[in-house]
Amino acid sequence: MDHFPTNWGRPRNDMFDAYGTYPIHQRPDNRPKDTFADSVQRTQQPIVTGTSVLAIKFKDGIMMAADNLASYGSLARFKDVQRLHPVGRYTVIGAGGDMSDFQHIQHILEEVQIAESTQQDGHELGPVEIHEYMSQVMYARRSKLDPLWNSLLIGGFKDGKRFLSYVDLLGTTYSASTLATGFGAYIAQPLLRKAVEGHEDDLTAEQAQNILEYCMRVLFYRDARSLDKYQIATITAEGVNISGSLKLQTSWDFAENIRGYGAQTQ
Amino acid sequence: MEYNGGSVIAMVGKDCVAIASDLRFGNQALGIASNFQRIFPVTDRTYVGLAGLGTDVTTLRERFRYRVNMYTIKEERDIEPQTFAHLVSSTLYEHRFGPYFVEPVIAGLENTSSGSKPFIAAADLIGCLNFAKDFVVAGTASSKLYGLAEGLWEPDLGPEDLFETISQTLLNGVDRDAFSGWGAVVHVITKDRVVTRTLKGRMD
Amino acid sequence: MSSFNPYTQNGGTILAIAGADFSVVAGDTRQSEGYNIQTRYAPKVFRLTDRAVLAVNGFAADGNMFVKKVKQRLEWYRHAHAKDMPLRSIARLIQTMLYSRRFFPYYVYNILGGIEEDGSGAVYSFDPVGSYERETCRAAGPAQSLLQPFLDNQIYFKNQQPAPGMSHPTHLPLQAVLALVIDSFTSATERHIEVGDGLEMYIILGKGRGLQGLEGVKGVQELTISEDGERIFVVRRELKKD
Repeated sequence: MDHFPTNWGRPRNDMFDAYGTYPIHQRPDNRPKDTFADSVQRTQQPIVTGTSVLAIKFKDGIMMAADNLASYGSLARFKDVQRLHPVGRYTVIGAGGDMSDFQHIQHILEEVQIAESTQQDGHELGPVEIHEYMSQVMYARRSKLDPLWNSLLIGGFKDGKRFLSYVDLLGTTYSASTLATGFGAYIAQPLLRKAVEGHEDDLTAEQAQNILEYCMRVLFYRDARSLDKYQIATITAEGVNISGSLKLQTSWDFAENIRGYGAQTQ
Repeated sequence: MEYNGGSVIAMVGKDCVAIASDLRFGNQALGIASNFQRIFPVTDRTYVGLAGLGTDVTTLRERFRYRVNMYTIKEERDIEPQTFAHLVSSTLYEHRFGPYFVEPVIAGLENTSSGSKPFIAAADLIGCLNFAKDFVVAGTASSKLYGLAEGLWEPDLGPEDLFETISQTLLNGVDRDAFSGWGAVVHVITKDRVVTRTLKGRMD
Repeated sequence: MSSFNPYTQNGGTILAIAGADFSVVAGDTRQSEGYNIQTRYAPKVFRLTDRAVLAVNGFAADGNMFVKKVKQRLEWYRHAHAKDMPLRSIARLIQTMLYSRRFFPYYVYNILGGIEEDGSGAVYSFDPVGSYERETCRAAGPAQSLLQPFLDNQIYFKNQQPAPGMSHPTHLPLQAVLALVIDSFTSATERHIEVGDGLEMYIILGKGRGLQGLEGVKGVQELTISEDGERIFVVRRELKKD
């Protein structure tokens, strides 16, 4: 008779430890093994990639922006890609980095949500849980030296609270009221910090949208792997709203004044 | 730069400056001499300390002595510390692509219309000058000296207090560095005189 | 093709000082990667039990995961033994946990601070593979070389002669220790780019030893619930953001 509740229903090896006497961290793991576990899947390089993702906290919730480009090295290969993905009613996950790994992440998040809903206990996964889950998954993959090559921003609004956090291919996590991945960390983050830090509770949706649009424009000018077509996700008490594709108004007139650029012929 | 070891520090006080160094000269981990002088007088009011490769310390001492003597002969006056700092800078930059492996520290009193003004400066191995208002550090224990000086230094210390402060900074800093130590010497420069003291410190 | 590097450095600095019947464990709150500041507030110091606080510094993903695993082992201990794990046992546990990853280490420098079973203040410091020692004070992280010699001079009174007939105190009072911690971090912030933004200090007081002047400290928050056992307080201060 096994007295330890933590052993009930768990795989048990009667030869080895019939009564669960070993301390928990030393118990043998008798789950069925993955046949392909030892086939070597190591270091990768990202192939089809997305660039920066930006996100800020504002008065009513979170706003996140990402362009619609998936590059193949220097080739702007896919120009209608959605890099902002809703997860349930409360969360949006935005990804930069390898897009095939992001598609896999979307798939496992769907499986997790299905498992959660089949519990039928009234609990739903919010941004905190999604972030925690993704942190564990990303860290576990990096610890197998087989990372999911992404930088993810997870933002959401649930139970009256805003949530915004980052997790990447190393399992590094951090949280702040403005976040930006990739090129955005160098170009957009200083602009976002100046506009938002200290005003998270006063910033209106319109102001938030303006600052994100401004940063996306600067990024399009300066990031060689970006696109002028992007989407904004807004998560508030009303739920998740991912906009249609927005076009950036840009001005390239300055090129007229530079020899060798613009429409000049010298 | 870590071959022979050694560290130098200079601090500004009220109408005085202090410059101090350890006395160790080693061959990597093997300590060879505990009386290696790396601070030299330039004039009676200006001193220069050289941290880094021992042979370059000795050579530069001679090169500076020559150049300062030529200056004194031609100008018929003593060189001012700030001018000397620029002399150090240009001497080092002459060897931009094959440098002397030293980090010089300069401390002195400037002769201004309103009396003696404390002056310190430091340079990197190719002559980039740093004119600090509080303290400058150089050598294998530099990061330790930065932390200590930042914690212990305050403005307007008199000569006795400045001596105590720079001594504690130097002693505790070199005690955490394997390549510095084996004795220490401190020079406190005021407008009337220079007081040189040898410190009692750990010899391990 | 260059190999995937599973580690990175996230900057920051931690420090712990043990008093006669208290312990202070502090860390700055900046998390950086190279020249980028990832966030201005990412805690590096965590409460484990009512008498133990762990500070982790190095690679933040490993640090955060390691703290989670330590907390889980402490919870299992609590269920199995109906009491909290004593501090020196937590120290030994941390050693075995770190060494179990000897060939793919947790890239973290740990400092454990708290109150021992005999009521004395204690600090234990570790290297990434589990070598550890009990000390009175220890700094770790990128600014270790700036802080440790300052602590040698101010806490151990190294290179200082006491007045004739007197001797240096073996332990300093709480207010003096807090002042030293704040000065250490402002100095490190001045001279090291990876240190700054904010300072978080955890103060663990021995059972029945009074507040030792803590009630006068601005912004002090208590983490423990009752006044009977050991007590843990947190104090936050701003540091320069450049």
